[in-house]
Amino acid sequence: MQTIIYILPELFLSLSIMTLLIVGVFVKNSFKIINSLTILCLIFAVALVLNQPQETTKIFNNSYLIDKFSMFMKILILVFTLFILTISRDYVKKNDIDKMEYPIIIISSTLGMLLMVSSYDLIVFYLGLELQSLCLYILASFKREDEKSTEAGLKYFVLSALASGLLLYGCSLIYGFTGSTNFEVISNNLDSSNKASIFGIVFIIVGLAFKISAVPFHMWTPDVYEGSPTSVTSFFALIPKIAALAVFIRFMYVPFINVIDQWQTIIIFLSIASMILGAVAAIGQNNIKRLMAYSSIGHMGYALAGLATGSNSGVQGTIIYLTIYLVMNLGAFGCIFMMKRENIYYENINDLSGLSKNHPMLALSFLIILFSLAGIPPLAGFFAKFYIFMAVIENKMYTLAIIGLVTTVISAFYYLRIIKIIYFDKPKKPFEETYDWGLKGPLILSSILTLMYFIYPSSLIDIISSILIY
Amino acid sequence: MLAHTLLFYFFSTVAVFSSLMVILSRNTVYSVFFLILVFVSISILFIMIGAEFLGMVMLIVYVGAVAVLFLFVVMMLNVAEKKNQKIVNKGLINNISVGSIVGLIIFFELLVVIGGWKYKGDFVSLSSISINDELTNTHALGNVLYTDYIHLFQIAGMILLVAMIGAITLTFKKRENIKKQNYFDQIGRDKESAVSLVEVESGKGVKIDD
Repeated sequence: MQTIIYILPELFLSLSIMTLLIVGVFVKNSFKIINSLTILCLIFAVALVLNQPQETTKIFNNSYLIDKFSMFMKILILVFTLFILTISRDYVKKNDIDKMEYPIIIISSTLGMLLMVSSYDLIVFYLGLELQSLCLYILASFKREDEKSTEAGLKYFVLSALASGLLLYGCSLIYGFTGSTNFEVISNNLDSSNKASIFGIVFIIVGLAFKISAVPFHMWTPDVYEGSPTSVTSFFALIPKIAALAVFIRFMYVPFINVIDQWQTIIIFLSIASMILGAVAAIGQNNIKRLMAYSSIGHMGYALAGLATGSNSGVQGTIIYLTIYLVMNLGAFGCIFMMKRENIYYENINDLSGLSKNHPMLALSFLIILFSLAGIPPLAGFFAKFYIFMAVIENKMYTLAIIGLVTTVISAFYYLRIIKIIYFDKPKKPFEETYDWGLKGPLILSSILTLMYFIYPSSLIDIISSILIY
Repeated sequence: MLAHTLLFYFFSTVAVFSSLMVILSRNTVYSVFFLILVFVSISILFIMIGAEFLGMVMLIVYVGAVAVLFLFVVMMLNVAEKKNQKIVNKGLINNISVGSIVGLIIFFELLVVIGGWKYKGDFVSLSSISINDELTNTHALGNVLYTDYIHLFQIAGMILLVAMIGAITLTFKKRENIKKQNYFDQIGRDKESAVSLVEVESGKGVKIDD
């Protein structure tokens, strides 16, 4: 019974999933009420996570770890899921995907991610991963009459199942050569003299890289982002990245820390390739969702650069980067949800032309967020990149730093192109005004946070520096 | 002991015979029935060597789910109609040659495995593991499944729940314009709501509005 308090958030979420299902069956046209109840459940879950004991604890035979790192990641996951639900509420209603299962599947995948983040054992990790990816397959093909959405769902399902297979193969190799599925035992038994276990590590990295869509395992990202409904795309771009990156950090720094010289080069390669592809491939895109996909690939490259250092400052840089990335992307998707005329949502970059004449405030917040994504000081995005590059240079990885800086400059081009379209092109018909505070609120919050971050940067750094991975 | 041996031979003969019938039978539906018979005999063999959990799972999963699925597929595709075609045709020679090559390879692989058993590494010998003979397999599995691995068990349950929700959301279509039975409404009808008295003029019909 003692352990109940440590799994209270997960327990609460699973019970609320079941309760919401029953409510959804018995109440007619229940999307609205289920959506609100889901948001309420997420708020409660955040409170439960905050209320957990602060000390590091392992439960269930050391297979489940609660520490500050996992708690921080859980809060990120829950809070941003909440925001995604509020900003996409109107979109979901207008696009006929307002079924009561939609929010339920979203919190089910959130539950899977909470399990992933806390896992300290290969089996728990894999089950959590499967729970979240199963939900993501369903979400991607949620608009089932739409050809593109079905295609996205099927594509994601096939490729992700393949990645899961590779990951499982890696897990079985690791288990075979270390004799345990527990992270701590694996860490003790793993040494670089054993070449076969390196295979296992590589396979696990491949699986994880697929989940955060790092190059060369990124092929699915643009198609899935473009094909799925925008509300789902915004979920895809934010939430699974948190969980996958958290697990990535956990894997590299707990079980595999002794073989760092084996995996470091792999991560550096993934990072460089993602940064370059993210910067170059996004240039020719006209669909804003595709552009966000390539931009997220690039951003994951920077996050991996911090991870590749193998130092504590690097990991802290990665976590800060992730947090700021989430805030910026929330804003960016908020702006995309604003592109609506007569109940039709527009996705082309050219639809934005002359936005500044019709909607000066929306254009301004888009400007702030895009500048921040490009990494221009003094906005938050600049600081995120700054911490990463500081850590990289501290560890004398100059090639990585130089390539990172060059790709930052290249990627600034396509962000600036959107700004040029917004501010200097001929105005089109104005978009509809929205009075939905669920959409406006997070957008304003995100813009203000990105703009004002430089005033008090230590607020975030203090929290994150108290998180020790190992 | 004799009874055990006799039963073993009986069930293995049934298994071998029916597995042959699976491929020899011309009617695909019969093939599936023989497949079910194979599964049942094999699961009985499992139970006879004391692996009762495996036997039961085999029954539930293979007979209860897989074989029934096969049966549905066969009936849906209507392959049973082809039973009148002669079994000896052009494809048969090819099929037999490819099939026998595959069979031979499997046979040699089995030989290698069984031969290699002689050179096996140092495994822990069975006598050094303390096994409680009183405990059945099911009991022993349950002992760890509901204690040490309870969280994994529950998460697996959540995954199945999500799979079910997903299957329903992606395929379920709500059909409009269907008259459903409503027992309370039907029983609750009384004379006033059901019968009305209409005065009919001569030479004209009665308009009944439904």
